[in-house]
Amino acid sequence: MENSNSYSPYSSSSVDSTKPLPSESSVNLSLSLTFPSTSSQRETSQDWPPIKPRLRDTLKSLRLRQRGYNTALFVKVYMEGVPIGRKLDLSTFSGYESLLENLSGMFDTSVICGTRDSKHHVLTYQDKDGDWMMVGDIPWDMFLETVRRLKITRPERC
Amino acid sequence: MDLRLPSKVLEHILSFVDSNEDRNSVSLVCKSWFETERRTRKRVIVRNCYAVTPAAVARRFPEMKSLTLKGKPHFADYNLVPDGWGGYVWPWIEAMAAKCPSLEELRLKRMVVTDECLEKIAASFKDFKVLVLTSCEGFSTDGLAAIAVACRNLRELELRECIVEDIGGDWLSYFPETLTSLVSLDFSCLDSEVKLSDLERLLSRSPNLKSLKLNRAVSLDALGSLLRLAPQLVELGTGSFSDKLDQEAVAKLSQAFSELKELKSLSGLWDVLPEYIPLLYSVCPGLTSLNLSYATVQMSDLVELITRCSNLQKLWVMDLIEDKGLEVVASSCKELRELRVFPSGAGLDETNVAMTEQGLVYVSEACPNLESVLYFCVQFTNTAMVTIARNRPNLKCFRLCVMEPFAPDHKTQKPLDEGFKAIVERCKDLQRLSVSGLLTDKAFEYIGTHGKKLRMLSIAFAGDSDLMLHHLLSGCESLNKLEIRDCPFGDTALLENAAKLKTMRSLWMSSCCVSFGACKLLSQKMPKLNVEVIDEHPLETRPDSSPVERIYIYRTLAGPRLDMPEFVWTIHKNPEIGVSHLAIK
Repeated sequence: MENSNSYSPYSSSSVDSTKPLPSESSVNLSLSLTFPSTSSQRETSQDWPPIKPRLRDTLKSLRLRQRGYNTALFVKVYMEGVPIGRKLDLSTFSGYESLLENLSGMFDTSVICGTRDSKHHVLTYQDKDGDWMMVGDIPWDMFLETVRRLKITRPERC
Repeated sequence: MDLRLPSKVLEHILSFVDSNEDRNSVSLVCKSWFETERRTRKRVIVRNCYAVTPAAVARRFPEMKSLTLKGKPHFADYNLVPDGWGGYVWPWIEAMAAKCPSLEELRLKRMVVTDECLEKIAASFKDFKVLVLTSCEGFSTDGLAAIAVACRNLRELELRECIVEDIGGDWLSYFPETLTSLVSLDFSCLDSEVKLSDLERLLSRSPNLKSLKLNRAVSLDALGSLLRLAPQLVELGTGSFSDKLDQEAVAKLSQAFSELKELKSLSGLWDVLPEYIPLLYSVCPGLTSLNLSYATVQMSDLVELITRCSNLQKLWVMDLIEDKGLEVVASSCKELRELRVFPSGAGLDETNVAMTEQGLVYVSEACPNLESVLYFCVQFTNTAMVTIARNRPNLKCFRLCVMEPFAPDHKTQKPLDEGFKAIVERCKDLQRLSVSGLLTDKAFEYIGTHGKKLRMLSIAFAGDSDLMLHHLLSGCESLNKLEIRDCPFGDTALLENAAKLKTMRSLWMSSCCVSFGACKLLSQKMPKLNVEVIDEHPLETRPDSSPVERIYIYRTLAGPRLDMPEFVWTIHKNPEIGVSHLAIK
């Protein structure tokens, strides 16, 4: 099996494969190298290591604090074409689903993760390297550590 | 000549028999003993709520006063069981309300409890005394209010790590002024603030209160006044330990702690600031149980506390304690029986890891009564495990979680087979084992050969082939619960050892290589088992060779359950429900 990053093609450029990966992503990597994983990649960071939900939440905020973040994680959100943006505390969301739900409500339109097309508003983010990336490729925890701002793209005109 | 023991005499004898294991044996002797036993059993425990129907249990034990139920499989604690799988307590409450209205105690673990359930409990059981919910979900604080207002003789209300829809702190105010019987109150898992005055008044009229576990929202300032109202506490779970207090408040709080002459157990301590640790010194010598799982302070602060706890039997702490701190535990806590070390995430990205296998070695050397270990560590060595096994052959529970999947012995790069071999070989009374790290089939051959008393086994990311499962199922005579995730086996071993599954409570396998065809075959072969395929992405027409996401197999007298969601398939499922197109031969 090729020794490639097990994430989807969208985000490969932003992950430095020589840097030691946090344990969640090495779980992804190891699994895809040895045998096919039937569990969704987004979910694996929620079930390893085997600790209970309350402790997991405590650790999340502990890690964010250790990396110099407040446990609150406010980022700016812009809708393409709209000059005035909003601010959102990402630490209040449990994952991508609740983020998308909230954004859809905030901007009064359906917002999704995925490729741009003529119908949908797609969510993208700027990471700590300054690159614009598709939202949804990496585990939620990693996303929180790297996201700087969000942009909702408009449906592509034909 | 009638040699039968008069039932009145047998009843009297049985009143001294507490253990359900013994009572189960009694009930097998003959029909009349079965009858006498069942009419006198007060405490009923059902460890798998789907193994038997509520009606059958209610019918068999009409004098039931206390019911304990467990629902979801253990791996549900780690998000491996999808929402909606099951574990509903409602049918049980309905049945008990109808047949056993004198029920006084309900203890539930991993079950779905709705507000409706809580309201029904409050309405149906006139002398209800004890409600203990562990890892339960599905209810809101409104349900708690229903219990509070109606149960006039309530003694225990404990919510241990439940997921509660928190509508507000009002529920506490529903305890009537006439309620004076409270012995234990645990609302540590709730988020919202309760009114301090309500809590103070409740404590003032609860002279028998022995156990109080507050939630994080209760401030340090408030803690002082609460402790002054309940100096008789034996168990205390504090709230947040991090407000800024002035000198006077600190002195008052220190005084309040020193008045807790009976305190044996301490927990909570969320966000504890190092400067407040000395407040706890006065209670340390009396403590037998200390839970520092949420105390995110450094080793030096933890050590100050632990060094004063010479009577400690149970310690739960984060790996912030480091090897040095565990060395202090080893020298200070000679009575230690149970040690749990949880990951703080601190070690994961750093090359300099301050807590290693050495910490556990220290404790195993110096604490002669150590019998239960849960240890999260980034990596481990075989030598360490051999040493630990040699030091502590009296271990009953050994759960090692090497957090890096497939991590070998970090000194020799070999698999951890030899280490676990030492553990199962030397610890002859080992009942519970969790393995991790790089393991080959050999490790499981050792476990199968030596783990004769092993009842529960948890495995993740291990093994090479089907042999692994075969060794376990054919070797471990006492095996009761087996849970496996992300291991490369399935069909052959499972089908070959199908009969073994009847002697076990349950088997869980997720992200392994069990095919749908094997599940069907197993279901057909073993009608006394429920073989549940739990697949969130089912295929319309599933080919026999396709691997299933999760399989949960348990023995049952109740037959297929009637509350299966769409994503759970068993062989009994009707095609019109939409999941299975199986033609049963």
